[in-house]
Amino acid sequence: MSLTRRKLLHLLGLLGAPTVFLLIFFFGPLVIMLVYSFLTPGIYGGVDWIFSHLNYGRILGWADTRYEKFDPVYLAIFLRSLRLATLTVATSLIVSYPAAFWISRMRPGRRDFAIFLVTLPFFVSLIVRLFAWVLILRPTGFLNQGLMGIGLTSEPIEFLYTDFAVVLGMTYVFIPFMFLPLYSSIEKLDMAQLEASSDLGATRLQTFRKVVLPATMPGIIGGSIITFIPALGNFIVPSVLGGAKVLMIGNLIEQQFLSARNWPFGSALAMMVMTAVLVLLIVQLRLTRRGEHA
Amino acid sequence: MLRRLLTVYGLMFFVFVYAPIFLMVVYSFNANTLNMMIWSGFTLDWYRQIFGFETSITDSTTYVDSSAQLYAAIRTSLTVAFSTSILSTVFGTALALAVARYRFRLAGIYRTLLMVPMIMPDIVLGIALLIFFISIGMNLSIMTIIIGQSTFLISYVFVTVSARLAEFDTSVEEASADLGATPAQTFRKVTLPGIAPGILGGWLLAFIISMDDLVITYFIAGTGNTTLPIHIWGMLRRGIKPEINAIATLMLLFTLVIAGVGLYLRSRRQK
Repeated sequence: MSLTRRKLLHLLGLLGAPTVFLLIFFFGPLVIMLVYSFLTPGIYGGVDWIFSHLNYGRILGWADTRYEKFDPVYLAIFLRSLRLATLTVATSLIVSYPAAFWISRMRPGRRDFAIFLVTLPFFVSLIVRLFAWVLILRPTGFLNQGLMGIGLTSEPIEFLYTDFAVVLGMTYVFIPFMFLPLYSSIEKLDMAQLEASSDLGATRLQTFRKVVLPATMPGIIGGSIITFIPALGNFIVPSVLGGAKVLMIGNLIEQQFLSARNWPFGSALAMMVMTAVLVLLIVQLRLTRRGEHA
Repeated sequence: MLRRLLTVYGLMFFVFVYAPIFLMVVYSFNANTLNMMIWSGFTLDWYRQIFGFETSITDSTTYVDSSAQLYAAIRTSLTVAFSTSILSTVFGTALALAVARYRFRLAGIYRTLLMVPMIMPDIVLGIALLIFFISIGMNLSIMTIIIGQSTFLISYVFVTVSARLAEFDTSVEEASADLGATPAQTFRKVTLPGIAPGILGGWLLAFIISMDDLVITYFIAGTGNTTLPIHIWGMLRRGIKPEINAIATLMLLFTLVIAGVGLYLRSRRQK
């Protein structure tokens, strides 16, 4: 009895402090944010503790006509964020999948080094990596110099401050997120199955569709989700590469907190992001469960 | 044919990953003060300027950005990164030990809930922390940055140490106990050395992520606590200057050294 009690004390000793810390400083803030999203913004930037559903109404389509107006622009920005995040996932897949396939077929020593090279940029400051793209995409940047040099265009093309630049930038910074899950499921591919498939007369495309794609689906889903989540709420990439022209929901949230000072509305916008993330995770759970049963 | 195509694609992939960084490093040595995109010769002036030496460019007011501010930002970042990484390493390791070594009912829940801080969009956590600190009346300071960053870095350490604990052979611990060691002795002499590489790896990871965190710190730093990423963020917003190339290159060098140490430790562990 005394032994188990001592064990219990040890356990509490290990768990106690971090549990309290996380309850207060992680879950506490999230709860307060949820509460804030249902409060009324105060006149001087604070909040009034009066229940209000209008923060959501402004985004989703209802409002009282006196103070808080419904403006479809918020929903449009949210939808654009969903679209740009989806495009980022698609681009990352196209960029990373063949590369992961290539690397998985290398000799072990060289393969480890290649993976090291893919993950290394993740440890390089995000802001530094984005800055590098500004150098490339600016009107006087390397891309335009190159294009004008070979005569494809006579005037610099504005690449910066476009959807293209934002998707490119997010693809670039999130490559390890997509690559690693993809790689770990491609690595597990059974080469004998591929050979069997082609021995039985399947074309390469058929083999890819019927054997390779289903077998690597867990990596595709996993990589897509952990790329989508940070892309959706991102405000650094659109600020640096999108400027004022390509606003994403992250920029909108930042504005509500640092310039508009409407915290309840900002919280409601953040709750929209949270909801999208939650829906996505539930879908993933369903998909992987179904995969296990099949 | 297909294989060759794949190789070409793979090489292009690496060009895509490294070309931007490479260009930035090369152009940090560009002597052209008027147009930073046109190469006009090799210089170390941008580096000299950062380190406060005399340069031929300090007179041109366009490019002056006080290196005192830069030093202050680096100091803040290092202070934050050291405190945060130590706090999260202690907490993360304790949680990993508890979940791995004691059978209790909540272990599974802990494992799931500790994933949440890692997948939480950083802007959401950033503003949630801001609202929280303001509503409980805590002034934004270095302290709030340390607390805020720890909330998600604990999870990274937890995962790293847990992975190490999972590989660790429990029979060694049992043998130690059978030979009459007290639990405390077993922990100090067997468990701790065994998982030390995991703890060190988690600490390094936490340190690097903390040094680089922009979004969460941005919301909870308040005025006067500028970390290095926030300083560079401010420089970028004011306009692109050549010395950013040099600062970025130095940061690159710094992270490469730390990542190199981490990988060296990992390779030693695998032997």
